[in-house]
Amino acid sequence: MPSARVVKNRTEFEGKIYEELALVQGADIPAWSADAELRHVGRSRLRVDGPQRVSGRARYTTDLMLPGMLHARVVRSPHPHARVIRVDAKRALALAGVRSVVDRTSAPELFDEEVHYVGAPVAVVVGETEEIAADAAHLVEIEYESLPFVVDLEEAIADRTRVQRKESYSRGDARRGFREADIVVDARYTTSTQLHNCLEPHGAVAQWDGERLTLWESTQAMFDVRKGVAKAIRARLDDVRVICDYMGGGFGSKLGHGHYSEIAAVLAKRLGRPIRCVMDRREENLVTGNRSATVQRVRVGATKDGKLTALEHVAWSGTGTEDGWVASTTGPSNGLYEVANVRSEQFLVLTNTGPFSAFRAPGYVEGTFALESAMDELADKLALDPLALRRKNYAKLDPQSGKHYSLKRLDQCYSRGAELAGWSRRKAGGTAGRHAYLRRGMGVSTQVWGGGGGPPAYATIHLNADGTAIVRAGLQDIGSGTKTAIAQIAAEELSLPLERVRLSIGETDAPYGPASGGSMTTASLGPAVRLAAVDVRRQLLEVAAGLMEVRASEIHLTDGHAVAGRGGKKLALDEVFSKLQNYTVIGRGSRHPNPEDVRLRSFGAHFAEVEVDIRTGAVRVLKIVAVHQIGRIVNPLNAKSQVEGGVTQALGYAVSEGRVLDRLSGHVMNANLEDYKIPTVKDVPDIVVEFVPDLDRRANNLGGIGLGEPPIIPTAAAIANAVANACGARVRTLPITPARVLEALRR
Amino acid sequence: MEIERPRSLDGALAALAAHPGADLLAGGTDLMVEINFGRKRPEHLIVVQPLAELRDLDRNGAVRVGAGVTYTRLLAEGGGSFAAVREMARTVGSPQIRNAGTVGGNLGTSSPAGDALPVLAAFDATVVLRSRRGERRIPFADYMTGPKRNARAPDEIVVAAEWRDPGPAQTFLKVGTRNAMVIAVASLCLVVERARKSVRVALGSCGPTILRAGEAERFAEELIDESGWDEPLDVSEAAAARFGELVAAAARPIDDVRGSARYRRHVLGVMARRALERVGSVVA
Ligand SMILES: Cc1cc2nc3c(=O)[nH]c(=O)nc-3n(C[C@H](O)[C@H](O)[C@H](O)COP(=O)(O)OP(=O)(O)OC[C@H]3O[C@@H](n4cnc5c(N)ncnc54)[C@H](O)[C@@H]3O)c2cc1C
Repeated sequence: MPSARVVKNRTEFEGKIYEELALVQGADIPAWSADAELRHVGRSRLRVDGPQRVSGRARYTTDLMLPGMLHARVVRSPHPHARVIRVDAKRALALAGVRSVVDRTSAPELFDEEVHYVGAPVAVVVGETEEIAADAAHLVEIEYESLPFVVDLEEAIADRTRVQRKESYSRGDARRGFREADIVVDARYTTSTQLHNCLEPHGAVAQWDGERLTLWESTQAMFDVRKGVAKAIRARLDDVRVICDYMGGGFGSKLGHGHYSEIAAVLAKRLGRPIRCVMDRREENLVTGNRSATVQRVRVGATKDGKLTALEHVAWSGTGTEDGWVASTTGPSNGLYEVANVRSEQFLVLTNTGPFSAFRAPGYVEGTFALESAMDELADKLALDPLALRRKNYAKLDPQSGKHYSLKRLDQCYSRGAELAGWSRRKAGGTAGRHAYLRRGMGVSTQVWGGGGGPPAYATIHLNADGTAIVRAGLQDIGSGTKTAIAQIAAEELSLPLERVRLSIGETDAPYGPASGGSMTTASLGPAVRLAAVDVRRQLLEVAAGLMEVRASEIHLTDGHAVAGRGGKKLALDEVFSKLQNYTVIGRGSRHPNPEDVRLRSFGAHFAEVEVDIRTGAVRVLKIVAVHQIGRIVNPLNAKSQVEGGVTQALGYAVSEGRVLDRLSGHVMNANLEDYKIPTVKDVPDIVVEFVPDLDRRANNLGGIGLGEPPIIPTAAAIANAVANACGARVRTLPITPARVLEALRR
Repeated sequence: MEIERPRSLDGALAALAAHPGADLLAGGTDLMVEINFGRKRPEHLIVVQPLAELRDLDRNGAVRVGAGVTYTRLLAEGGGSFAAVREMARTVGSPQIRNAGTVGGNLGTSSPAGDALPVLAAFDATVVLRSRRGERRIPFADYMTGPKRNARAPDEIVVAAEWRDPGPAQTFLKVGTRNAMVIAVASLCLVVERARKSVRVALGSCGPTILRAGEAERFAEELIDESGWDEPLDVSEAAAARFGELVAAAARPIDDVRGSARYRRHVLGVMARRALERVGSVVA
């Protein structure tokens, strides 16, 4: 048995660095080399669960129908700020099929006396069917006392009681840097609240068996749900089992348990029947999280030849009613460019709107829009090519820590991207379109992100008597294809066909696995799975060696065979399996800590080509070229899908999405998919995806890091820069609507 | 909720006479949204979607489009005299919505953003209504009376829209906030009926009902009077701008989630100019 030890590890998660203790076992192995002949890793494979997903056989949390299950429907506040005076459930309870109505008096653990946003929970109705519960919810009569509120971010920023300074950073002396500058760009950018709108809504189903709770939940982080729910209901960890078989997206909004999880757990216990509590689309738009709207001020100073002398970035992020944390909007400014003098501040601003949550590269998406727009404004003033300006300020070392990067190939992302986009066609002032009123332009933007992952993450692999393997890990696949990547990694080391590797994931009885967030799932768990497979292989070779009557050290595993020496004796693994009877080979693996001496980060560049109708202000995005550097690509097909999805989500953020609030009533005016405009297939441009082939061998034993978030980071700025290039309209507010383009043109 | 599925138009009319004001279900792309969002709880529902009598699409002589004709069917129609109809149908929803949604449903809902409506208005269409009491034929301008309001009596069914073929000088333009599945921020249909020396321009999503831009119509007619009704119109920059201004001035837009009144007015002017430039050169 390998010995266990405790290690200290630094992990970058959602733009912040966390130091944690973790338990690891045995020793790590080096990453595959560039010339290793791999049969699975690095090759495009269809999703191992693709057929289930597309045929409707995959069972999601919302599909679950347990015998005797009741449905919970939340009654929500129509007021942005109010005190709940009285809840009268008489009429609701009189409706046939209604089993229970609870509010603050009957379930104080579930509700507050004051509600702080439209959509805040006030009562819950439980009915025999979803429809009955929904009908009865309308019958609950609630008396409120209205209280003052603010929903508008700018208005809230002006009110000191609503603003908290959460982060600040500096290096060098920004003031001096600005004095040294020949040219300074000083601009204010604003971004809108983006909604996740996951395909699968948030929700949970709870069932008790005595003191044991089973909770099916659509989540990115089963173990955090277990911890959170156990704490909320004062249960032991082993009494709470969380299951997440299939999942339809989270984008950061499902990183912990929800109010719905507590409702389901608490009421299922009280009523002695399973309870399902699943949000509808309106609730998805009101209460399940969002990307903060921001107001940002960026100042960049540079010498005439384009060397940055100072950078200042101050960000105010509207977090709704969330007053614990705020995303790092200034992260990109702190760490992307080589600039000696930097000062940044991050403020959290409270408004009477639904709480924000992590959303695919939280903060970095908003901050990169501002920073990379400002860089282009600077390039304009300096009459420099925007790409040249970025190259001029390229950071070879991590500007924050002074460390080397484990890998940095941003220069290649720039040059390959420029080639693919035809950047040489770009002209200052844009080019002509088919009509006099159409102008074309190109823009570029950069991304930097973490995604290195880290411990703790564990996996076991069981090899069965027929030569099939089961990978067991506390992993949830949120739709990104992690399952397939994990199966590929295991199959590689086990030398088995992919279809012989099955995954047993999606529940907390498995060894601990990380949240599917922060672009770190594969980078955290993959190396542990690889070690578990190596452990199995070692044991298997010992068995084969016995059968072949050679020493284990003399044979190796290749292509389903144990082979002794070069061209020596060969024994098919299937034969090994058939000789043995009932047995299980158990391999164990854990994720080892990240290297201390280097910084793990991913880089990439997006190039946008757009056409602007200068009369209507309409922007058509024609093409996005995305080149990223993350080291080893486990599954190129999956990776490409990931980038296409990120670009599409960013496209909505850039040109059409945004929550609309009514200042006077505090209501969300577009809390549905009709009025909240995510891109349709007709809006999505040609997306060209490439990866820098170099491996990140220092990162971990796979040689690569995560890709979930990077592709959403740079797109909005690339589009804004392309619009400015096309027609001179510098739009500093997202989304870039036609009206805003016209307004910018008039300036 | 009671749902009736009559086999014939007569059956449907009888059912409606027995339950005046009952909701009619055609493609359901408006009605089911209302029901699912809890904005409507019909007690009585009459399904008209399968009725053969509502499915005419007749273009011999006067054009007759049955209330049950879907956008997909309209899209499949060829010919210059259906150009604006096709352009309109192409912008509606998505393939699924176009397969289910009908002209009768658009008329039934009578939303100022209903895309078929500016076309019917610019075509001077007649709305044909039927009840047990008989048939009524009313000009579109008298049919739609306000936002989601129309002159249909509670026992009447829209059976068709009819119009005289105005010739090929016609176009429909729509601005939305994305490229598909989008309700109009503003729309416009322009017809130059050369045979009758008539120009008609109708605006959608720019007022409480579909608006006609009378002054702009007169202005364009005078322009064509000068250049000749049988000749292609070469629109000068100044004339196009004036036409755009007059169309914009006819709008009575509001601010809403989709767009501001100001932007709507502006973009109507732009669409009007483009429409006139596009259509002016078309001579049968
Ligand atoms: C996702 C989506 C996208 C959409 N996009 C567009 C768009 O781009 N442009 C657009 O204009 N619309 C759009 N719509 C709205 C809708 O598709 C259209 O208004 C369509 O024409 C409605 O037709 P229907 O047959 O589905 O009507 P239904 O929903 O069946 O009926 C609508 C109303 O009309 C009444 N009605 C139906 N038939 C008759 C009749 N024969 N006589 C009298 N009353 C009748 C019904 O009682 C009901 O009140 C969209 C809807 C959805 C859900």
